Amino acid sequence: MALESSRSNKSHKSEDSIPNLSREMCSLLLADLEKAKRPVLRATKCSLDNSRYDFKVGYLTPGPKKVATELNVSSVKKMSRAIFLLEILLRNIETGAVNTKRELYYMSKGEIKHNPSLRPLDFGSQDESDEIIDFICEMLECYREEFNCYANDRGGQTYSQHLIVTETMSDGEKAVIDLSKMGTSPFQPKNRPQKLKLTAKKKIDFAIIIESEGTANTLVVNGFTKRNNCILIGSGGVPSNAVRAWSKTIQDQLKIPLFFWGDLDAYTMQNIFRTLKAGSASSLIRNSDFSAPDVKFLGVLPEDIKKYDLADYPVKENDAQEVRALKKASDALANDPFFKDKRNKGLAAILKWLLTHKRRCEQQAYFTVDPRDPIMPEKIILEKIKRGDYV
Amino acid sequence: MASKANAKITSSSTAEYFSKNLQQVGFSSQTKAVLTTLKESVDNALDACEESGILPEVSVLVEKVGQGSLKNADQIRIRVVDNGPGIDVDDVPKVFGEYLASSKFGKGRCSRGQQGIGISAATTWAQLTSAVGARVITKTESMRKAMSCLVEVDIKNNRGHLKEKETIDWDRPHGTSVEFLVDGRVQLNGDAGLLNYLNGTALVNPHLTLHYKLPELEPHTVTRVSDAIPELPEATAPHPHTMKLGEFMSHSHLFGRVKIEAWLKKGFSRIHEGVLNDLVKAGIKRGVLDKSVDAIGDADFKELFIALQNLKLMAPSTKSVLSVGEETLAKSIKRLGAVDFFAVVSRKPTICDFKPVQIEVAVARLEEKAQEHETPAQILRFANRVPLQFDKSACAIVHAIESVNWRAYGLAQPKDGLPLGPYIMAVSVVSPFIKFKNASKETIDGSDELVEEIRRALIQAGQRLSKHIRREVKANELEEKIRHIEQFGPILVEGLCRITSASEARKKRAEEGLLKLLGRDAHATQQELDKAHALLEAAKVTEAPSLPPPPAPSEGPDSEGAEELEGSEDKPVKKGKKESAKESKKKVSKKAKGK
Repeated sequence: MALESSRSNKSHKSEDSIPNLSREMCSLLLADLEKAKRPVLRATKCSLDNSRYDFKVGYLTPGPKKVATELNVSSVKKMSRAIFLLEILLRNIETGAVNTKRELYYMSKGEIKHNPSLRPLDFGSQDESDEIIDFICEMLECYREEFNCYANDRGGQTYSQHLIVTETMSDGEKAVIDLSKMGTSPFQPKNRPQKLKLTAKKKIDFAIIIESEGTANTLVVNGFTKRNNCILIGSGGVPSNAVRAWSKTIQDQLKIPLFFWGDLDAYTMQNIFRTLKAGSASSLIRNSDFSAPDVKFLGVLPEDIKKYDLADYPVKENDAQEVRALKKASDALANDPFFKDKRNKGLAAILKWLLTHKRRCEQQAYFTVDPRDPIMPEKIILEKIKRGDYV
Repeated sequence: MASKANAKITSSSTAEYFSKNLQQVGFSSQTKAVLTTLKESVDNALDACEESGILPEVSVLVEKVGQGSLKNADQIRIRVVDNGPGIDVDDVPKVFGEYLASSKFGKGRCSRGQQGIGISAATTWAQLTSAVGARVITKTESMRKAMSCLVEVDIKNNRGHLKEKETIDWDRPHGTSVEFLVDGRVQLNGDAGLLNYLNGTALVNPHLTLHYKLPELEPHTVTRVSDAIPELPEATAPHPHTMKLGEFMSHSHLFGRVKIEAWLKKGFSRIHEGVLNDLVKAGIKRGVLDKSVDAIGDADFKELFIALQNLKLMAPSTKSVLSVGEETLAKSIKRLGAVDFFAVVSRKPTICDFKPVQIEVAVARLEEKAQEHETPAQILRFANRVPLQFDKSACAIVHAIESVNWRAYGLAQPKDGLPLGPYIMAVSVVSPFIKFKNASKETIDGSDELVEEIRRALIQAGQRLSKHIRREVKANELEEKIRHIEQFGPILVEGLCRITSASEARKKRAEEGLLKLLGRDAHATQQELDKAHALLEAAKVTEAPSLPPPPAPSEGPDSEGAEELEGSEDKPVKKGKKESAKESKKKVSKKAKGK
């Protein structure tokens, strides 16, 4: 009997679904074993060739391809380890405890220490236990945050004079954070931003996710958030799960325009902006909660270079990351359903421009326009938003 | 300037040259000096026995006598006693004390010695470092008593001198004993060690019984595994395509005043009437062929030489090569130590660069070195059945070994390197015209053709070997799988039961089911293992009847001699492993059935 995950296309909102699904899966496994039948677990294949994109949905969704894991003499060790870790994770959900992957690695060591019969399961390194945690998530088609397993998330520093965040703690108590009371210190969403409740003291006009955390901070210190009813978020490079989920939460709860401001290069377009807007191929099963399809690419746009006489430069041959991203770009234009979609042809055109011109321009180039005017970048951003100068 | 220009030009004797350049003939270090002395003595003993059709029994003694005269050197006694035909008294000074006095020089035979340099160089080294030459005892069958003497090299005149000559009683009907006192250092192990040399010599000389006593080791005897004396193939005349013009012209004087036609037919291989007709067609005047060799000029020689080079001639005969033979090599390889399994390949004699050559390869896995997975395989190189122990990296044999992808046969191998593991790889190149890189015959200078021929032999051996390795991998896999079932089965079921709060009865049923399931996997692996084993056995059965006869010269390029042989030692470890895997499998099935 093949155990198909029943979570596909289901929402990930139900708190109880994970323990129930886990028990259901274990029970089916057990039933097969009782009949000496070979259980087969099928999980969604998370890869670009199994990605679908529909502009109306807004993010990459899984196709029909599945990866089968059969219980046999070669996989029995992996399965035993998975069931062992699953037990620890379920206990966490039950008690509301939260852990990082590394902590779980050490917890598994502790369990084995107190029960020598489990010694064959011992993990040689954290890589091994991480792999099993990912395997559990694939089997149950969920993400690890649903098991209370959180990464040490980076990025997502948020500034606003009008946003109020209400967090329900694990003990049920509520914490209310008024971002206007934090001076120039940012609020950083952690763990599961979907659980946060957002309200606005005054109508918020827009939110900007800025690739560079440093530049986000500069804008705030120069008074951007004081002069504008907005939210500024520093992404810190490739958006982490927290940044992705936080953007999605802002989009859904506040229903305000979202903009992304970052470098004009192939890496930013494919790895940062695409991930933020439509998720990634490796996280197909959770893109629904980890992408903000409404986000627009504010800049730097290729035409901005001419319009604002921005300092750009050719892609250096020794810039391995960018050279690799350029190579990937032609592949993306041919195979990535996101860039292939007609409704995203503006973004694909930017990628084509990058491929043709092999030049890049950084977000900080707006500071070249008038170096003596500290709020010149702010002026340009506002002008671009006003004029609808974004993709 | 004037005095320099007028400096007297003197000539030196060959002995004088070599006495000043002993490093060129294997005496470049103290350890090499000991090994070369031993090697030259043993080579001579074996050549002498073979030429007289005697099964060789050689005793070797190497011992430290005291401090040497050189800095950091020991004085070493090296004595080699054989049961060969003995040496005529008149020849003793020539053999041991005169350079380039050889019965084998340029003969085109696969003998170990070729030029008559080695043993005289050993005498010179002894004389230079210990002030005593070679002490020789020899007796031929016709001599009533043995003759004992001291041979010294007259370096100025390249002559051997006998001293302290006396007749003595000796315990054997014929034979020779040669003893050197030399300065040097004894190295027993490693590529350049004495043990490597003696083991290698035993490997490619299955008909040899070797007794040896080395410092710090107990006396040891390696008994012969074959009673067949290798028949020395007839010498072969040179092939015109292997010569240069100068050689060609000097060659003409070896046959006296004969007609060019007669000289060509007699002095070269593959020249017959048809070739002479072709020469005429190619523009050589019939009259030239009828002239005497000393009646034609350099221009005629050149014209004739070029015409010959341009003719398509048959490749030389391969009759002149001598092989050890697969059957005897298979027996011999077991003398190297406890062998897990091995494969031997004897290629057909073939032509490389217009020279007949035969390659033989033996690859074995040694049980005693089973733990040495990271060290490179031990390489034994042989040229005309003489172990080569120095300058490994430059040798054609090593190049060929490195060029083979051993990973395909289950051996570990770094990129373009020697394979790793407890293996011994012996490669023997036999040819009357081996091209060495130096006078001390340490490395074979390989053309692409020769390296390719060696490579093919190695690939064949690798294919044979891989059957054993595959069987072993399957056995390991089976063991691993059974261990997996025993270790993880109960843990998995217990975990599932805890999560689902299942009853004891459910748990028991699931345990039984899992055991059945995984037992099926183990059974499949067992079948694969059995299949691998059966393949190996089948290969042995089909190959056994087609074994070549005991070492005999091959009958030319068309002869069938390239059979392969491989085998395994039913060592308790391997057998035990297989059996234990079978037992474990039974245990699993039994458990499953029992429940």
